[in-house]
Amino acid sequence: MASLEVKDLSHSYIRGKSVLKEINFSLEAGEILSILGPSGCGKTTLLRIIAGLEKETSGSVNIDDHIISDHLHTVLTENRNIGLVVQERALFPHLTIINNVMFGIKETKSKKYEIAMRLLKLFKVDKYAYNFPNEISSGEQQRVAIARAMAPNPGILLMDEPFGTLDQSLTHQLRTETRKILKDNNTTAIIVSHDFDDAISMSDKVIVIDDGQIVQSGSAKDITHISPEKSVKLGSIISNS
Amino acid sequence: MNFSLWQITPVTLFLIFIAPVAIVLFSLTGDYSENWSHLYNYVLIGYIKNSFYLILGVSLTVLILGVGTAWIITNYDFSFKNFFEWALILPLAVPPYILAYTFTGLFDTFGTANNLIREIFDLSRDFTFFPKVRNVPGAIIVFSFTLYPYVYLVSRMAFINQSRSIIEAGRTLGLNKLEVFYKLAVPMIRPAIIGGLMLVVMETISDFGAVDHFAISTFTTGIFRTWYGMYDIETAMQLASLLLLFAITLIIIERYSRRNASYSNAMSLYKPLSHEKLRGFKNFLAFSACFIPIFIGFILPVVELTYWALNYKLDFFNEKFISTAWNTFYLAIIAAFFCSVLAVLINFSIRYKSNNYLKFMSSFLTVGYAVPGLILAIGVMQMLTFIDKSFVSNIPNIVFTGSIFGLVLAYIIKSYALSNSTIDAGYQRINERIDDVARTLKTSGWSLLSQVHLPLLKTSFLTSMLLVVSEVIKELPATLILRPFNFDTLAVYTYVYAAEERMYDAAAPSIAIVMVGLIPIIILTRMIRRSRPASRY
Repeated sequence: MASLEVKDLSHSYIRGKSVLKEINFSLEAGEILSILGPSGCGKTTLLRIIAGLEKETSGSVNIDDHIISDHLHTVLTENRNIGLVVQERALFPHLTIINNVMFGIKETKSKKYEIAMRLLKLFKVDKYAYNFPNEISSGEQQRVAIARAMAPNPGILLMDEPFGTLDQSLTHQLRTETRKILKDNNTTAIIVSHDFDDAISMSDKVIVIDDGQIVQSGSAKDITHISPEKSVKLGSIISNS
Repeated sequence: MNFSLWQITPVTLFLIFIAPVAIVLFSLTGDYSENWSHLYNYVLIGYIKNSFYLILGVSLTVLILGVGTAWIITNYDFSFKNFFEWALILPLAVPPYILAYTFTGLFDTFGTANNLIREIFDLSRDFTFFPKVRNVPGAIIVFSFTLYPYVYLVSRMAFINQSRSIIEAGRTLGLNKLEVFYKLAVPMIRPAIIGGLMLVVMETISDFGAVDHFAISTFTTGIFRTWYGMYDIETAMQLASLLLLFAITLIIIERYSRRNASYSNAMSLYKPLSHEKLRGFKNFLAFSACFIPIFIGFILPVVELTYWALNYKLDFFNEKFISTAWNTFYLAIIAAFFCSVLAVLINFSIRYKSNNYLKFMSSFLTVGYAVPGLILAIGVMQMLTFIDKSFVSNIPNIVFTGSIFGLVLAYIIKSYALSNSTIDAGYQRINERIDDVARTLKTSGWSLLSQVHLPLLKTSFLTSMLLVVSEVIKELPATLILRPFNFDTLAVYTYVYAAEERMYDAAAPSIAIVMVGLIPIIILTRMIRRSRPASRY
């Protein structure tokens, strides 16, 4: 598992209009971080920059003390050893569930199968191994998407609104299960969400972004015990989401 | 495969695609021969006049046929409506030159129709009931009844997307049904209609087979005669340039209309149009309005061709026919395969290495469809002659001019738009997040294309192949000019026999062309059904 450090990271699509401003945070190996904030605050952009799907305007991203992106270096997404789970799940529709999970594993066929089956069992979707994505429910698809992202044993797992489209009871169940699996596997993870409960219940650390800036950061416990003044501010950010 | 290859490919293709057109346009800067003066002083005005009358007549007729039938189908319930809904596209399977051949076979002085009238009413051989068709009005009918589906298709799509609420709002504001049609419904879809109309005009000015058969002097017949009659390629190219400039103007108008087409379905809440049930005379009128275009544009030529093929030349299925069909088939498959592969590569490049110049080039590559086949053939021929003289003259047994290569290249340039739109539509259906996830799973470049995109694009690829195959099989002028010596395709076979007035011999290849032309009709019908907003709920 890997550690992550984001330093002075800024990003803008249009000159002079920043989406992210001077973002700084770090994450130890095996820690889970939640990035919280309203829609359009820049949290998905931050995740995409860490994944290498977009290039920051300035600043740097370091994994295990190695620079993977700054004004001089850019390590391609495929070489960053990062796992990604998106809200749309983006399962490969032409592949069965087992083949989806095996897709990113670079091992022998039998080893791939073994790893994929272990993860499917862990996420309780092994009985659908030979089904196609459209044949299972959205909650099951989400479990498969997380299993697929974890299968190649990434240094860091990035999850963008992973439970955004699921109903509340399913979300609660998946949150608990996913946190347990991440912790059991000592996986470093970043979860982007606009859901306060997601952030608090799943992560060790939370940062709150508003208008491209970090307005609050700390442990999940700190965030739940903030001053009344800050609480009002945080409440308005969350309610805007 | 490295990164830059995904950028180099479109640039190279862009240069190859643009070269033939640039060569033709460049001729305008060259010297003008005596033949040009002759053409300019005596003939050009005739070409312009005939082309103008053709465009005007065809435009008005296709507007009435295309928009009218689309409105009837969308708003009314009448006998055989479900059949007409897709059957109205059938005339697209009949190239104008084949309808022209059957028209002369039917309506010439001693054609089937006049003979039949004379026999039934026991009239003398001098009596001619049907007027002559080998003239501009005859050509207008031929083009209109084969090309109106372009306007029908776009109008139908646009009408389907119109919300009932807007029509009802018009009615409550005091408009009657007719006024709702021409004051509200039609103006709302005007950009779409103009787009469809421009395609019709492009097809009309590009045609060679029909106007040649009717002996009408237009730009295309003029270019052909200047080249093959006067052996003056320079003047032919200069003439072609004028036609090309006109085609470019049409492309610009068509693109502009397409850009504005969105206002036709800008409603926030979609309510499907309700269908009014027609009875009695109104039912008969609606039936006739839909049946007549199909009868003239499809049933009549198919029946006549079948009659010829069966009654006069039962041995049409001979060695010559088989070899010609085989030539056509493999040529079409090769062109369709390369065209579809190129479309996949370019669309992948755009998606993978998204930037503005790739998008611009891709949109530029699609304008090949609007370049008349004859002009394209001249450009490709000139380009290959230049390559032969400059680069491969020292290599024995390699000559590009008059080879299959030139023909396939012309087909690809001409049909690329079909492949591109199909593959692009296929890509639209693949969520871009899939690419993001694939990249985090260490799959990029060629692997992303082969392992993720291609399996998902299978249907689009096949559709693209079928569309190009049917387009290539119909193509006449470019094939006529670029084909290797003694190499015939079904279209050329048909043309040669029709030129010799051996209509019965032309029947079998014509039927084959029409049958293959039905493939895209079936695909289009399915696409229209799927595109209905109501079907999504």
